Amino acid sequence: MTTPGDSIPPWTMAVVDPQRMKTMAAILRDPYQVHWDREATTAMGLEGKVINQGPLNLSYIANMLMAWQGEESVRRLTVSFGRPVLDGDHVTAHGTVTSVDMVGDERHASCDVWLERDGETVVTGTAVVVVGP
Amino acid sequence: MDTLDIAALVGHRFPGGVRTIDHWENFLLTDCTGRDQLADDLVHPIALFHVPLQGSGTSIAELFELGGATGAGSVGLEGYDWEYFRSLREGVPYDTQGGIVSAEPLTTETGRRYDRVVFSIELTEPGGELAARVTNTWRFYREGP
Repeated sequence: MTTPGDSIPPWTMAVVDPQRMKTMAAILRDPYQVHWDREATTAMGLEGKVINQGPLNLSYIANMLMAWQGEESVRRLTVSFGRPVLDGDHVTAHGTVTSVDMVGDERHASCDVWLERDGETVVTGTAVVVVGP
Repeated sequence: MDTLDIAALVGHRFPGGVRTIDHWENFLLTDCTGRDQLADDLVHPIALFHVPLQGSGTSIAELFELGGATGAGSVGLEGYDWEYFRSLREGVPYDTQGGIVSAEPLTTETGRRYDRVVFSIELTEPGGELAARVTNTWRFYREGP
């Protein structure tokens, strides 16, 4: 049974891939060049590394939650973004359960969630997930 | 962009529309996240970034224009609040409606000026059930870091 204080098994993206950012930019119809143009990010002082899309950073947290409680378990994601995640970064999603409550006929776990890169938190927030009985 | 009246954006409504999530789109989106494909036509949760925008008849480019983006580094994400009331699935025509709910000038802790713009969009199933709501907060920076 899920209880407050439980840790959620982490989910790791071993290497953030710039090719995936390009595919993502096409799907999103995202004209922001920081995701695919190394000249633009060089001018920003990022040494030519492109910036991962915010939704992709959040997707690693969503993947962690789905791996933990199932593909239809996510009810809410509330996050804030910190420093950018760059191509080549190694990031890991983490979470802990803060409370468990009945909402209608579902048990909802409220969780603190975050994404880390080399010990630095780059996304932080909360999630609500349906958990088993 | 000093002449931009950011507060005037509050109440701006997107045209609205109907958005269906195709299999190819969900497949590629899920692949970008680095996980296996989902079962039963289930849509990956991060579709709630682009599907509400595109379905409501706006775009990232239009929001950049509304907010007065000026190039690389002038736009930043502050946060998302995404609520899932029903599982999203491929092939379902979601009615998609929303607009800008807040816009205000602010300053970062380090003294950098920016405008904070918040928009909210809802997805409704053909039967009238609310499927999802997103509330996204973006920053439009008015000067360098």
